[in-house]
Amino acid sequence: MYSKFKFMYHVCRTYIKPGMKLFDLIEENPSLLLMMQHFDIDFRVGDSTIEQLCKKKGISEKLFMSVANLYNGFKPKENPINSIHDLKQIVEFLRNSHNYYREDKYPQISSYIKQLQKNHPEKELKLLEKFFNEYFAEVIDHLDYEDNIAFPYFIELINNNESVKKNLYSAKEYGEHHTDIELKIKDIKNLLLKYVAINDDLNLRRKLLFSLCELEYDLYIHSLIEETILIPFGYNMEQA
Amino acid sequence: MNRHRLHIVIMVHSQIIYEGLHTVLSQSDMDCMICKVDSLDDLEDILHSKKIDVLITNPLLLVNREKEVKRIRKNHPHFSIVGINLGIVDNHSLSLLDSSFTIFDTAEQVLSKLQKAGSNSELKITSNDDNLTERELDVLTKLVHGYSNKEIADSLNISIHTVVTHRKNITTKTGIRSQSGLTIYAISKKIISIEDVDLH
Repeated sequence: MYSKFKFMYHVCRTYIKPGMKLFDLIEENPSLLLMMQHFDIDFRVGDSTIEQLCKKKGISEKLFMSVANLYNGFKPKENPINSIHDLKQIVEFLRNSHNYYREDKYPQISSYIKQLQKNHPEKELKLLEKFFNEYFAEVIDHLDYEDNIAFPYFIELINNNESVKKNLYSAKEYGEHHTDIELKIKDIKNLLLKYVAINDDLNLRRKLLFSLCELEYDLYIHSLIEETILIPFGYNMEQA
Repeated sequence: MNRHRLHIVIMVHSQIIYEGLHTVLSQSDMDCMICKVDSLDDLEDILHSKKIDVLITNPLLLVNREKEVKRIRKNHPHFSIVGINLGIVDNHSLSLLDSSFTIFDTAEQVLSKLQKAGSNSELKITSNDDNLTERELDVLTKLVHGYSNKEIADSLNISIHTVVTHRKNITTKTGIRSQSGLTIYAISKKIISIEDVDLH
């Protein structure tokens, strides 16, 4: 009677260490592929360990592991940014994830919602589409702001440019401006799972829900990187 | 009212005991999430990012770790520690536990002790019931028609503070935060009619 439950165990993911193989870790948590893409690492990992891969790609092992462990559900104990190289890499990582949102995930969700609205001309879905489109525009604004204002500021900061410190801008302001764009994604997901009645169309609705979950997960990690790594780093530099 | 899912961490060195506990828990009716740690340090790491309700451990692993246990308890007051009594009893480490069971207890006895330990967790009940009160419905209706907090307060003759409380409750109950999201909620629930909403 017990065997049918065998694969339903809920277990925590592995706490990632340098000697572990990427292949095993991806098998456990496929979302790490997205992390690799943001780090600009090819998916054909072979048998390489994190240590080997970081060395080959010139990424700090500490930085890579902090981010990878965030994807596995563990927050970093200390700030992994130790050099301008680390900072540039984390900014590049965040920029790459912006491109993924802008060019891949949001257009995909947008097209699913559009299709859903076409198949079910209820007015609620028209509202949902409107809600999403307005939200999408907000997100693009936010991403542009980070790419053009916030990230260059952090780079200037580590170059120890004194004039930058006198600037009106600050890491604190960045933290405040950093709106929780995940919240509206959650709203859309909750509306579809709890309230909006749609008949059938399970394939399309599942694809939409999967996309929303994927986006929600990556946005969550994205803001964790900003909140636990980038902002505290900027704050310390400003105090220095 | 829904019971909150129980997050359980197991810290034992014996694989047989870990697997055994895992099997008993996974096959019970208890809605739980289980994970394994090797040391108190690892536990503290996990506690940074996850809410844990119960630690199941061999009390011998707590010997001379009183300071750490106290620190964890201070930072996470809703957290319970349940010991596995393996027959070798050290009274001092037993005093660090909230309860314990022996490896000869039946699965039912173990589960009932864990349920009890988990019920210390203050957040165990989360209200997932989206039945809004009359007043909350009033606030929601005004909200989706674009009224500001001040305008809602004036028209319902209540303070702004009360409006904010109602809005918080609406969000907790429905799981929806944004005004646009709440509009769609209100239509789905037939609280307002679609004709009331400007689509442009």
